Amino acid sequence: MNASDLLPLAVAVPLLGAAVFAAVGRLLPRLASDILATAWALADLVLLAVLWHRANGRTLTNWVGGWRPHDGEGVGVVLVGDPIGVGMALLAAALILAVTVYAWRYFAEPPSGHPGTFPALILLFEAGMCGFALTGDLFNAFVFFELMGAVAYALTGYHVEDPRPLQGALTFGIVNSLAAYCSLTGIGLLYARTGELGMAQIGLHLADHRTDALVVAAFVLVLTGLLVKAAMVPFHFWLPDAHAVAPTPVCMLLSGVMVELGVYGAARVYWTVFSGPGGIPAAAVHEVLVTAGVVTALLGAVMCWQQRHVKRMLAFSTISHIGLFLIGVALLNAPGVAGTALYVAGHAGAKAALFALTGVLLDQYGSVDEHTLFGRAVRLRWSVGLMFGLGGLALAGVPPFGTGLGKALTERAAGADLAWLPAVFVLTSALTAGAVLRTAARIFTGAGATPHDGSDAQTRGDHEEPEVREPGRPVPLPMLVVPGLLLAACLAVGLLPGLGAELARAGRLFTDRAAYTAAAGLPAPAGPAVSATAGAAATGTGWTTEGVLLGALSGVLAAAFAATALWGPNLTGTTVRRLGGLAAAGSRRLVLPLRRLHSGRLGDNVAWLATGIAGLLAAFTALK
Amino acid sequence: MSRTARVRLFLCAAAVIAVAYTLACTGLPHFGAAVHPYGARAVGATLKQRTANTISSINFDQRAFDTLGEESILLGSVLGVSALLRRTGSEREARPRPVRVLPSTSLFGVLLLPVALLTGVYIVAHGQLSPGGGFQGGVILATALHLAYVAADYRVLRRIRPRELLDTLDAVAAGAFTCLGVAGLVAGAAYLQNVLPLGTFNTLSSGGLVPVINAAVGIEVGSGVIVLLAYFLDQTIGTESGDGGTEPNRPTDRDEDSPCPT
Repeated sequence: MNASDLLPLAVAVPLLGAAVFAAVGRLLPRLASDILATAWALADLVLLAVLWHRANGRTLTNWVGGWRPHDGEGVGVVLVGDPIGVGMALLAAALILAVTVYAWRYFAEPPSGHPGTFPALILLFEAGMCGFALTGDLFNAFVFFELMGAVAYALTGYHVEDPRPLQGALTFGIVNSLAAYCSLTGIGLLYARTGELGMAQIGLHLADHRTDALVVAAFVLVLTGLLVKAAMVPFHFWLPDAHAVAPTPVCMLLSGVMVELGVYGAARVYWTVFSGPGGIPAAAVHEVLVTAGVVTALLGAVMCWQQRHVKRMLAFSTISHIGLFLIGVALLNAPGVAGTALYVAGHAGAKAALFALTGVLLDQYGSVDEHTLFGRAVRLRWSVGLMFGLGGLALAGVPPFGTGLGKALTERAAGADLAWLPAVFVLTSALTAGAVLRTAARIFTGAGATPHDGSDAQTRGDHEEPEVREPGRPVPLPMLVVPGLLLAACLAVGLLPGLGAELARAGRLFTDRAAYTAAAGLPAPAGPAVSATAGAAATGTGWTTEGVLLGALSGVLAAAFAATALWGPNLTGTTVRRLGGLAAAGSRRLVLPLRRLHSGRLGDNVAWLATGIAGLLAAFTALK
Repeated sequence: MSRTARVRLFLCAAAVIAVAYTLACTGLPHFGAAVHPYGARAVGATLKQRTANTISSINFDQRAFDTLGEESILLGSVLGVSALLRRTGSEREARPRPVRVLPSTSLFGVLLLPVALLTGVYIVAHGQLSPGGGFQGGVILATALHLAYVAADYRVLRRIRPRELLDTLDAVAAGAFTCLGVAGLVAGAAYLQNVLPLGTFNTLSSGGLVPVINAAVGIEVGSGVIVLLAYFLDQTIGTESGDGGTEPNRPTDRDEDSPCPT
């Protein structure tokens, strides 16, 4: 067995685990089930780590079933493990392990008669994510994408005693399924034109035609499914509704890695299928996706600041960060990809930790509402509170956190492209982090003025079903250890020597279409080689003074935003009153209409989905 | 958004999508063209593997990895439904009442149930030779069992439907597919490679691994569909709310002045 055989096994191992849990889960005592689930998650993580090590920065390929192509013609499915793909699978596996350990004492009573259901679903989720990250075949990617989705809908609605999770899961399921039909239609169009399903193969055959309406429609439709999963504006409406109600361990996975896989998929499909002749011009992709990214980042940040329901707040913060990741990959160069990859890894640690800590609040107080919990969690100040604050700083991108390094690298690549883009990075990460710091200060220290309920209706976070049925017990150890380790991992991403350089190489490989095609055993693509390094700045791979300063600036701004929210109402004086009046007017004029758009109605979501598709079609048709 | 605004927005967007998609379809190859690159390759590969049914060869051999994902989606759906439709604290088991059925309907069911079951088994078993296979045959098997519900009543269906066993069978069959892939690795070939002897073309034992995976998928689909339907039927027929009524549907607060019941 050689290293490339590990690629299909990375999918097969969790699939087998899911089958084992579904078959014998009911016979296992709780402790044995927890231990087995942890061991299984660890096994896949080790397998992927070995794969990463054996690949050693090269691209591994595996033709499943041994169906190698002859003379560039084949019928099989290929798995392509380049460093970015294996890295995404590794990230998914690491988070799955964290979630499995976190959930050890989490569900006090698993569904009666089905103790194996939750671990089985989690392992299926892992198989879907790994398969999606490692496949080099468009239809196969769709299959694993759907596996991810189907399992995620069920996991979101897991608390069936409460109607709200079911409502969130239903919205999530319907919107994402509609988007998946779009993707399948797009794949059908590409297959009709080229007679191929492999990404590299389709890309090669697109060169036989010019870029016409079919290619544009196929590109937009395939991307729709991926960008809905990634929650790009205006496809993002399902995400806060699903995140607010899903069980905390599931939120950690959805926000930490599943949503990011949507961005990864979009980038992968662009580079392998559409970046050559007969595809979509780079300038068009760059313009549309950078614009969408900026809008997503800003909208997510503004909405994040407005929330008092902590899980919804973190969900909007994810949307904001997705915007930044989109900008990073839409720069269409290697430094952008490398920076974004690092940013995604750091963000996964920080965001999953914050969700895990929110789970502790829910466990202890049966509420995730910032106003209801005001000053109530003082006794947890030095454990949960401290980690919550650190998580906020990590979100802001304060050095030496991994988010800071990722943000700095992506910012530099973005700044080389458009001088004002770094400002978007600094401002949005400061706003989302400010909201988190504000929450932490209120809940764990009771700082600032007592928050008053605004006149407009808001999504409140109390009356949540406590997810654990033993009130008054001490916080279970795994629920404190896991977020601690996740934050440590976020720190490690920023401090590990050589990781930046390795990812810079990975980014170059990811944006090199000829290398991908060659790895898939196909002849080199015709036409001019698309140079991914066009317009790339001098590539740095580590901390720079500028990066550290901008990260620190985000942190300072975040603290300033939080302080304004906490102590601003206590200040007196005419200037302050005037500023307060301005803020209130701005909030009425700008923010309230924005919040009204997030009605949570399924019909609205579908209307926005259609609008987004139409917008993308119009934009790419105009720019092709 | 108000209802009219929503409908208008959707209709405008739908018009744009319709125009773009129509234009895209004009770029498709003409209907009934003689050349189909993928079809020719797939049929060639099928004959090389001594499998008579190209569809089955694609499903269980050439692109078996896709099928592995597909049947995992089915396993995930069964698990998801079992989690979402589990009996909560406020629900308890109801005793389905016996229902009067016309004698002709009963007779029809008694006669056709074994025939339908046999058809299902045939379709699964001949998947590598003729149209059909694990997915189609599995659905027929599941449908056959539910003739008991149509021809008699829910109590009879419950008696002939060992749900726990089928639940386990579903998982075991799904796991078997995954394990069959490892056979290729054990034989020193690739994962999911067809390493069994290929046999004689157009006989039941031909196609190597195809009939074996086919059988696993047939069992998985058959038991999976039965279990899926069992959860739904139990939810509607075999369960009643503890308080005698339906669950109170609490309105949810949203960023909106008027909370909307869905």
